[in-house]
Amino acid sequence: MTAKVLALAIMALLLVGCATTPNQSIAPSVSPDTASDNASDTASAPRPSAELNIQRQSAALQPVVQAPVPVRIQIPSVSIDIEIVPVGVEANGFMEIPENVTIAGWYRYGPAPSSDKGSTVITAHVDALVQGLGPFAALSSLPENAEIIVTTDTGVEHRYILESVQNFEKKQLPLDQVFDRSGAPRLVLITCGGQFDKKSRTYSDNVVAIAYPN
Amino acid sequence: MRKKILAGIAVGALAAMGTAVPANAISDTSADLYILHAVPGLMVDLYVDGKLTLDDFEPGDLTDAIDLPAGTYTVAITTAEAPDDSAPVIPAFDITLGANMSYTAVAHLDAAGGPTATMFTNDLSAIAAGQGRITVRHTAAAPTVDILAGGATHFSNLSNAGEVMHDMAVGTISAAVALTGTLVPVIGPADVTVAEGTNVIVYAWGSAEAGNLALAVQVIDGLQTNPVGVPAGSAGLAAEGNNVALIGGLGGLAALLALVAFAATRGTRARAAN
Repeated sequence: MTAKVLALAIMALLLVGCATTPNQSIAPSVSPDTASDNASDTASAPRPSAELNIQRQSAALQPVVQAPVPVRIQIPSVSIDIEIVPVGVEANGFMEIPENVTIAGWYRYGPAPSSDKGSTVITAHVDALVQGLGPFAALSSLPENAEIIVTTDTGVEHRYILESVQNFEKKQLPLDQVFDRSGAPRLVLITCGGQFDKKSRTYSDNVVAIAYPN
Repeated sequence: MRKKILAGIAVGALAAMGTAVPANAISDTSADLYILHAVPGLMVDLYVDGKLTLDDFEPGDLTDAIDLPAGTYTVAITTAEAPDDSAPVIPAFDITLGANMSYTAVAHLDAAGGPTATMFTNDLSAIAAGQGRITVRHTAAAPTVDILAGGATHFSNLSNAGEVMHDMAVGTISAAVALTGTLVPVIGPADVTVAEGTNVIVYAWGSAEAGNLALAVQVIDGLQTNPVGVPAGSAGLAAEGNNVALIGGLGGLAALLALVAFAATRGTRARAAN
């Protein structure tokens, strides 16, 4: 019975793994390095007397650790150096984005640069009628392996190397992967691109740049 | 073989950081079960279907999610010295796990101070963007209580083995537990952070008479709702094949709007407490 339970538990875990396997290429290509650490940690933990010794820990109230907030993004190769502010969602469910094209918005409900897993999402408008093109217009032409530096309010610089830049038709944007809170820590920069519909004043695509910690 | 299997389970749980396990660990054939030991001063062993499952389980400890096939199991809790489950300190009880569900089985004291166990169902329904869920469970040897936040009563008349829950804007609340109608905290006040997309389950446990009332916290994450899209442009200047010249000016208005947006937002990224 226990063996069966174990086998099913393993299958469930494997299935979970499969379910999160990307069918689009913006999902993490690097697996979290915690797996090997934990495997060695737990090898000594199980006691021989228990059939299935489940991990447990104190449920005492822990002091809350606030992740430092990203405040500045620099991409030297295209002369981007702009402020970042925390943003959430609009009433209509869309990600909030600073009106000013020269200010980027960090999705404050998701991971931050210091998070050990998941996507730090930073977005800026590609343009605006009053301001013209914004700095993030350069996302679509980032050079290979461009360095991206995100600085937090504690002064820590997080350095990333560009992995890919892709256009997604907006309806096809894989939101679960863009706003992923698990998987390898990574930086996801988003703006607009593609064709412009003059009637609705919207672009057809999102331009998505993915970068991994250097 | 066993060693390998155990390592696999542990990695699956730990990779999700402590007790904050994503809701999707469950499936159409399995359920998540957490077990909380909330009987003060008594180290126990816990048996499932006659098999020792938790050896030397300490008061105040919470297990990681145990992913189990849906079905009915018999749980028995003995002293840590017991050779088997024939003399439980809490009478053996059956638990029924439904597929795609999450449960916490809590060994605790009843209102009169006797050991008992309660099976709670954890709400895994999606939480609106920008919100978290707080669940409060009374598992202490105490009469009915009120739950205070910022000194004011938010939930009243919660009795032993009962729970209350609601979704709220993310943030940190100063929470306290008072005997009903007294407004005098018997636990807390303590800062409880409700992070976005998480169900933060707070247990009041221990004994008022023995003076060891305390809080235990379980966090289930992964319940967030993602934004529905990223509308990041409105002028058409970056369109493919577009040769419209830059349009300048009126930047002051945009800067003002950005300032308003900045003032309206506050970073509340928080690590799940467990």
